Amino acid sequence: MASTENVLEIRDLVKEFPGVRAVDNVSFDIKRNTVHCLVGENGAGKSTLIKILTGAYDRTSGSTLLNGREYVPHDPKDARERGVTTLYQELNVVDELTVEDNLTLGLEDTTFWFIRKTDKVSDMIAVMNSIEPSIHPKQKVGSLSVAQKQIVEISKAAATEADVLIMDEPTAAITEGEIERLFEIIQTLREQNVTVIYISHRLDEIFEIGDYVTVLRDGKHIDTKPLSEVDGRQELIRMMIGRTVFEEYTPKEETNPELVLEVRNLRNHKLKDISFNIRKGEIVGFYGLVGAGKTELARAIYGADPFEGEILLNGQPYTPTPQKAIEAGLALVPEERRSEGLFTILTIRNNIPVMNMESISNHGWISASKERGVAEEYVKKLNIATDSIEKEAAKLSGGNQQKVVLSKCLNADADLLMMDEPTRGVDVGAKSEIYNIIRQLAAAGKSIMICSSELPEIMNLCDTIHLLFDGELKASMPNGDDVDSEEILHIVTGGD
Amino acid sequence: MATTTENVQAKPSLGSRISNEMFIVLLMIAVLVILFVIAAIFVPGFMKGQTIVNIFTSNWYIIIIGIGVTFLLITKNFDLSVGGVIAMTGVLSVYFSQAANVSRNPLANGLGLPYPVAIGLALICAMGIGLVNAFFVVRLRVPSIIITLGTMMLARGIGRIVTQGAQRNTSLPDEFGLIGNMTLPNTTIKIYVVIMVLLVIIAFVWERKTVGGRRTYFIGANSSAARLSGVGVARHLTLLFIMSSFLAGFTGILMASEYKAGISSRAMGYEFDALVVSLLGGVSIMGGFGSVLGMFVGALILAVVQSAATGLLLSPEWNFILKAIAVFIAIMAQGYFLRRRVG
Repeated sequence: MASTENVLEIRDLVKEFPGVRAVDNVSFDIKRNTVHCLVGENGAGKSTLIKILTGAYDRTSGSTLLNGREYVPHDPKDARERGVTTLYQELNVVDELTVEDNLTLGLEDTTFWFIRKTDKVSDMIAVMNSIEPSIHPKQKVGSLSVAQKQIVEISKAAATEADVLIMDEPTAAITEGEIERLFEIIQTLREQNVTVIYISHRLDEIFEIGDYVTVLRDGKHIDTKPLSEVDGRQELIRMMIGRTVFEEYTPKEETNPELVLEVRNLRNHKLKDISFNIRKGEIVGFYGLVGAGKTELARAIYGADPFEGEILLNGQPYTPTPQKAIEAGLALVPEERRSEGLFTILTIRNNIPVMNMESISNHGWISASKERGVAEEYVKKLNIATDSIEKEAAKLSGGNQQKVVLSKCLNADADLLMMDEPTRGVDVGAKSEIYNIIRQLAAAGKSIMICSSELPEIMNLCDTIHLLFDGELKASMPNGDDVDSEEILHIVTGGD
Repeated sequence: MATTTENVQAKPSLGSRISNEMFIVLLMIAVLVILFVIAAIFVPGFMKGQTIVNIFTSNWYIIIIGIGVTFLLITKNFDLSVGGVIAMTGVLSVYFSQAANVSRNPLANGLGLPYPVAIGLALICAMGIGLVNAFFVVRLRVPSIIITLGTMMLARGIGRIVTQGAQRNTSLPDEFGLIGNMTLPNTTIKIYVVIMVLLVIIAFVWERKTVGGRRTYFIGANSSAARLSGVGVARHLTLLFIMSSFLAGFTGILMASEYKAGISSRAMGYEFDALVVSLLGGVSIMGGFGSVLGMFVGALILAVVQSAATGLLLSPEWNFILKAIAVFIAIMAQGYFLRRRVG
């Protein structure tokens, strides 16, 4: 085994997407047999960097060395064969197969295409047993907990002699006790000469398990240092948000006391007893990390998910289905644009009126001229870059697709517009256009609810900020000069 | 077909103004014309008035059930029960109309209901099958291909039991044979062909011009986005399944009337013929794409191929091979031209 001090060396790595530099000239080293943590806000470039290392993305430029040798994986399988394995949030196990079949999946020994039982299986089971004896090899993986499934994957990586194991938010879906067990396993792995790259939003974990930490911000490398030299989570938070100049938020001169939305004791599988109000013309932001419950909150209000509790819109209750919610004056820009917001194979003209078909029809008959009129109006108003309203939505860029989704909602003429990650995957130009539209809507008396995991977005748009952590509403505050972004990050990462 | 590379600023060419769906329909019309010309040149005696009439009329029943099948296909659902429903409804319409207690032969005795009541009841039974399909697909989220396979056998099974595995054709009132044998005055064109053409026109207008028609495409293009956009997905799918079964039941009544008989083995495999003509007409099983007009053209293409084969004195067992060749060629041509158009 090569004995370079650094298992991975990243040099001047760049990844460009149309309109954004997701990874911008990043260079740092990862020392052998350490737990190296990677932190940064959403959009800081962590996932992109990891995807380059695992071969899921091609780089634009720059180099990476693995054990001192040039390392350019062309796909995740290639990366795995060279010793870089990834434990994704969505686990790569097949529920229908047994533990031992999962361990050897993709690594089967064969004779004339027939699977042959070899020592490999028992070797792998031995490795797994040394990590976690309670899992039986003949058990169906579907019967295991998330944490146990992780262990199956980790065992697979350990048994195939991975040099580097990347863990992407491994603790997002497991319990406290299981987290401790996972940390013990990570220690064992390190003793077995595995280097772990650990990505988490939960800063306390990083201090507990990490040896080194690398901070990324806006695609740039901020710093890499031993965690022993980091002065508490406050310093980490400062490095993560930096001196980000938030676009100036101007507090509103007067607030309209009229309530548009009243939510009382909302509970469901994810949400814990949430209550809040939204006023007319107010922009309200919900900030929290991935999995904090922002999407679930918007979906519950919209009637897309079941809930208990009371929700009033303009003082009236409404039947919680999307259809009735729209009729009552709500609209939702969903988190997943392509799978939940757009009809990608239909044209812009077809997409825009869907939430308000009355706007283009009389007694159920579609008026071709009205339909064209509505589509052209929004293409112009929202500056959607297209040569024709007959273009299919699939052929537009992310930002323009999001504008089409926004047009759908605007055409529904809702009193309260809910937007879940309104600028995800949207280039900088379209982003500021979307912000302007939001401000104009609020000025025109519409209420806006924004769910976002980007703090600058919340800080520069919202009149009121609510913080979510693990399904709970942890804090609420009016926006203004005295809002402390470090304090906010402290709360949403699970601090007290 | 002009691409948009040079015409971006210019007035949109005809090619870019029509939708992909209508482009495919036009393409299939072109295929139809070409096939027709080829047949006219090579098949002796093909160019006769009667051949052309036959092409438009011979697949009338496939076209009627094809309307429901096409709309469901656009929503990404299959309806394989239509053939069974034709048989069941035909048999039931006979059974309900046959005079009661007139013979010792059980197959000669029916319920003795007045004819309008009999067909009304038979149609309600047909729609019941549609309701079962919808319930399983919408409420229990069973894939439509599975549940309609089940109701296909259920419906045909009901027909089998009522006819004791054979047919019912006696003690029927005179008006029973009326509608299936009526012709346009002074022609041999059956009234059911006129009904078929009217239904295709109504379906085409509904599909292109109404909010209901548009919902069909929203659901097929992305059913979760449709739901989140306020489209009543469950209600719309239910209506489509019931409509499809209604059209199949209606076809069954017309066919039973034509022969004055309820035959339980009627319409075997029609569900697949309906699928074939939809696919020939460019309807996508991926959902959200296609047109009833395309399905109609697809049925005509099939009819040209079949009459040409008859003219060439090919025996009927060649029919399946010819259908297969027509499907392969049509699907490949559609894929090729659509990709070129999309660029």
